[in-house]
Amino acid sequence: MTRHGKPIEQDHETVVIIGSGAGGGTLAYELTAKGIPCVVLEAGPYLTNDDYTNNEWEAFNQMAWLDPRTTSGSWRIARDFPNLPTWIVKAVGGTTTHWSGATPRFKAHEFAIRSTYGRLEGANLLDWPITLAELEPFYDRAEIAMGSTHVHGRKPLPANNNYKVFANGAERVGYKHYSTGPYATNAEEYDGRPASIQDGFNFQGDKNKSKWSTLVREIPRALATGLLDLRADSHVVQITHDQTGRVDAVLYLDENGDLHRQAAALVCVAGNSIETPRLLLQSASPMFPDGLANSSGQVGRNYMRHMTGSVYAQFENPVRMYRGETMAGVIADESRHDPDRGFAGGYYLETISLGPAFLASFAEPGSWGREFTKIIDGYLRTAGLWIVGEDLPQESNRITLNPSVTDKNGLPVPNVHVDDHPNDIAMRSHGYKQAELLYDAVGSVSSHRTPPYPSTHNLGTARMSDKAEDGVVDRWGRSHDVPNLFVSDGSVFTSSAAANPTLTIVALAIRQAEYIADQLAHDGI
Amino acid sequence: MAFPAKYPSLNDTALTEEARSTLIRVIRVAFPHDSFPDGPYERTADTILKAAEESTWFRVSLTQGLLTLAHLAGGDFRQLDEDAATSVLRRIETTEFFGFIRRTTVLNLYDDPEVWDAVGYEGPSVDKGGYIDRGFNDLDWLPDPRIETYTGEPIVEIARSVPLAPPHAATHGGGQSAASTSADTSTQPGATDARQGQLQHSEATK
Ligand SMILES: Cc1cc2nc3c(=O)[nH]c(=O)nc-3n(C[C@H](O)[C@H](O)[C@H](O)COP(=O)(O)OP(=O)(O)OC[C@H]3O[C@@H](n4cnc5c(N)ncnc54)[C@H](O)[C@@H]3O)c2cc1C
Repeated sequence: MTRHGKPIEQDHETVVIIGSGAGGGTLAYELTAKGIPCVVLEAGPYLTNDDYTNNEWEAFNQMAWLDPRTTSGSWRIARDFPNLPTWIVKAVGGTTTHWSGATPRFKAHEFAIRSTYGRLEGANLLDWPITLAELEPFYDRAEIAMGSTHVHGRKPLPANNNYKVFANGAERVGYKHYSTGPYATNAEEYDGRPASIQDGFNFQGDKNKSKWSTLVREIPRALATGLLDLRADSHVVQITHDQTGRVDAVLYLDENGDLHRQAAALVCVAGNSIETPRLLLQSASPMFPDGLANSSGQVGRNYMRHMTGSVYAQFENPVRMYRGETMAGVIADESRHDPDRGFAGGYYLETISLGPAFLASFAEPGSWGREFTKIIDGYLRTAGLWIVGEDLPQESNRITLNPSVTDKNGLPVPNVHVDDHPNDIAMRSHGYKQAELLYDAVGSVSSHRTPPYPSTHNLGTARMSDKAEDGVVDRWGRSHDVPNLFVSDGSVFTSSAAANPTLTIVALAIRQAEYIADQLAHDGI
Repeated sequence: MAFPAKYPSLNDTALTEEARSTLIRVIRVAFPHDSFPDGPYERTADTILKAAEESTWFRVSLTQGLLTLAHLAGGDFRQLDEDAATSVLRRIETTEFFGFIRRTTVLNLYDDPEVWDAVGYEGPSVDKGGYIDRGFNDLDWLPDPRIETYTGEPIVEIARSVPLAPPHAATHGGGQSAASTSADTSTQPGATDARQGQLQHSEATK
């Protein structure tokens, strides 16, 4: 374990945050800035911008969460990447180190899908206990913190080559709501960090620090308060509780496999939506036989990973999509809810680019021969976009512990079960068609439909609900069952919305910090 | 079926020069790129051979697979033209042997600077100051598009054909409500019968 910041005694009952990504890193900064000391336990190492490498597989292997996981269900990931269901980073800063930066907000009705969409067979729809209006002030604060372009006076990023193809195609098929953002990477110097140099490595750590991450903003600022004790290489394996059912400590392993205990007044779990439910399930006890905070039986259920897919189109002329900010291009026209298209909810189209190494691995898993190699041969003349839309919560899409496979510490690995809902399938095929029309409109000579990558957006496994029987946490992310246990990451999402999730995770964490500070000040915890 | 021989002879088989050049040919036929030089294919074959040295299971599959290829080719696989060689590979594509080669090739062949050159990928740029002054926006066969947010009509967030969402469902601070007229939502997937329509409305007015 490597320690940074001001040490807090291990037997001192303090605020303990598990995970240092979008949720955990934000919460740590917001709480320490209010004078509340915190211990942050992060399973991964503390790497900084100089450690990052600009090579796709090297960067992935350096930072991704590679501990084994298993998969089941009808989703194609179970066939293509059976032990790599997600792309999540295990390092200080979490997945915000590898994220690209798209920051759309949720729409009002996306907080109320049960009321808006009605009842959809096979889905487990529920309205959030909060509304857009309640979250709007925190969206503002999150956008300012992250430096989102296009809002709060931040200027837009310029058009790169991939965007030129994308936006011209959009215009020609009649889309209106296209632009290069909002995108949380600096178009000009902002917040002490430089403008983007358009180096093209956005799904990797940003050596130039133009991209927002909790590694470049929240963590250093939290350390500077003198109130943060950040312990890297510290993997939490259990949350324990006293005889009244309040959590009192966490147990964690250092990189040598040695076990440590940190006493806790309050625990906030932000391990991303696979590890968060895994930890709650691993913390089962005689008092909580189905897992901590799981009286509803909803822990691990309603796992969402967005409806996704990509289209890579080839043109006669060069595109060079790899130059520039990967995802600085978004079309919002299809993000509306319009059941006449044959599905509920909506989706965004966003620019995407992969290098040859990733394109070969992800474009069409399992494929070979000339059918496959022509995808790579046209690399220079290729433009790409990603389809990202709402997927519906289903009770049976679920994280469970797989007792027959263990990780290097002997702990049961999480199994990720997903069946596509017919709504996801209908939306994906609509998105593919629209993307092809768009590229046709600017003269594509061929295009390829690429299936989902290992999930980069992971949501919903400890969902928010008004009633304790419907979900795991309340409107503040506080567990219905255990008063001093909070969930602080995308696991709390009651619905996925079409929007990329991180802005909402950060906004919720800022809001939760206000609540926790207030409760601590008034003996509410 | 596992190869019924002792490991020492398996090791010998797997590592002969003939085995290596057959493997290179397999990779070229399975992943044919006319513009690629031999180097990347050779390096990929060596990566596979190294993995085989380290894993008994791979070594066994590799050895058996190479022998099978010779049977199916009716002699030396390297002598077949691309079409004939491809047909042979199609017959074994579900084997562990081919899966092992395919996976390892996909992960390694394209992570090679010579391949990047051949396909026109320039790779890391941070040491050169990024692409900001080196062509990130040099595409000139299309007009320069708008980059700013659209300032015309805002998005209609809920299509006009959808019944009005309940009041709490769409509290929008900006004052834009989920305005709509009511109509049937019968194109929604899943059950949309009258009873559920009722349910939806009664909940809506709670
Ligand atoms: C390639 C890529 C591109 C993306 N692009 C976008 C985008 O454009 N827009 C967007 O909104 N989102 C994007 N995302 C998603 C975004 O990164 C995530 O939504 C976000 O980081 C999730 O935040 P989190 O706090 O839930 O988890 P994370 O950021 O993943 O942080 C969780 C942290 O907890 C740690 N942890 C887990 N379990 C334990 C444990 N038991 N003990 C200690 N520590 C633990 C992990 O190591 C990790 O550091 C992208 C993701 C990827 C991979």
